[in-house]
Amino acid sequence: MLIRAISGIQDYAFLLLEFFRGLKYIKKAKNDILSEMYLIGTKAFAVIAVGGLFIGVILAVEVGHHLQEFGTLTMLGKTVSLGMLRELGPIIGGLLFAARTGAKNTSELGAMQLSEQIDAMRAFGTNPVNKLVMPKIVAAVIMFFPLVIAADFIGIVSGMLISMANFNLDLGFFWNSAVAAIEFKDLFLGSIKPFFFAFFISSISCYYGFKTKGGTSGLGQATINSVVMSSLMVLVLDFTLTKIVWILLG
Amino acid sequence: MDIIKINDASLCIADKDILNSVSLTIKEGETLAIIGPSGAGKSSLLKIINGLWHPYYGTVEVDGTEITHLREHELNTVRQKIAVVFQSNALFDSLTVEDNVAFFLRENTSLPEEEILERVYQELCFVNLVGTEKLEVNELSGGMKKRVAIARALAIKPKIILFDEPTAGLDPITSKLIIGLVKNVKTLGATSVIVTHTISNAFEVADRIAVVNNGEIITVSTPEELKTSDDKFIKEFISDDISVATEIYKCD
Repeated sequence: MLIRAISGIQDYAFLLLEFFRGLKYIKKAKNDILSEMYLIGTKAFAVIAVGGLFIGVILAVEVGHHLQEFGTLTMLGKTVSLGMLRELGPIIGGLLFAARTGAKNTSELGAMQLSEQIDAMRAFGTNPVNKLVMPKIVAAVIMFFPLVIAADFIGIVSGMLISMANFNLDLGFFWNSAVAAIEFKDLFLGSIKPFFFAFFISSISCYYGFKTKGGTSGLGQATINSVVMSSLMVLVLDFTLTKIVWILLG
Repeated sequence: MDIIKINDASLCIADKDILNSVSLTIKEGETLAIIGPSGAGKSSLLKIINGLWHPYYGTVEVDGTEITHLREHELNTVRQKIAVVFQSNALFDSLTVEDNVAFFLRENTSLPEEEILERVYQELCFVNLVGTEKLEVNELSGGMKKRVAIARALAIKPKIILFDEPTAGLDPITSKLIIGLVKNVKTLGATSVIVTHTISNAFEVADRIAVVNNGEIITVSTPEELKTSDDKFIKEFISDDISVATEIYKCD
């Protein structure tokens, strides 16, 4: 078990090494990257936007009731905006991205592995990491950031609307307090997380796709492992990055 | 001139010996068939020729380059001279016929798109599939897929073509068609290596035939020599008499 885990980490490290080596061919992969970006933008946006919307609403309703008890409802704008920007936007976006795009990557590459399409690439002298993995990781890193920003925005706006409906909070007041609460460190933390999450989700999902064996049940298992590992990685990274930023920026 | 030299190669996968001290040379322009029972190591021989698998002992030389210890990116230069027709075809099922045949030209060469499309057309003419360019691969029959795989292999103008069971799973008429194509490939001057179960196909296309059993090459002979061989295994293996062959397997 331990040996298998170490061997898996080693294989994953080799895949990352190959990815970084392949970055010098990024210009050649332009079309593949654009097509992956299009897929992420069009297919993952709806899921992440809906996720952001409901998280914003839930956050405002849950926190609003507690703040009302203490007579500090004026803090609701600040709580929702910081909660969305620093934590919930990136985390929920990351988990949904792992389930949507990560699962797609693993099943797509896994099916190619099982039908010898990846072997065919290697046999004809085309590096499958440069052709299949590099565009997916680069596209994810580029596209996930705006998706999270959109989710943050949608979450804050939906929180604002539900606060008006539920707690009769003034829209302008909510918005002003939400924006005024945001400091550089909040923007910084909310901005770096999506890049790390996207890199690890896409690389882990590609790794599991490449390692698929054992027919259709093996493909199912690889997809499950990919989503589970990516989701855990999102949580571990979220804690690590938050801690580091708190230590560095206070 | 020998274009492929396998020298004393031994291969082991998951603690199982697949090839034992195999030596084989293949001349430029030659068509060599590799025959033998299932699990004998025929496809493994193809995989060590294009470096998909590496022998733990011995060497493999392709077109003057010793490939045994090359790294993946160094191997790619050698592999671009070798085309493979996989048993499963390994076509890209999300692409059209045209994109499949053009795939490695677009990836590995800097040819202009017009020239690539011209070459795709030529190869589809060769395999008699003109008109299917825009079809998706999953719209094709088994025989058509095999022909697309051959067209994709030929499109890169390889020096060596490796065919892994090119007629497996095909009906007799389509098999005959595919074997006809393999024979025509010879006229293009490429060296061909064909792994097959079908003895009649091997006799029809090959200049020489290598018989493999239990990871070892028993003999490499011309079809005529093979027909008159005194070796018991060879005699029985190439025999059409199923009952005799069955007896042999029982004895084994």
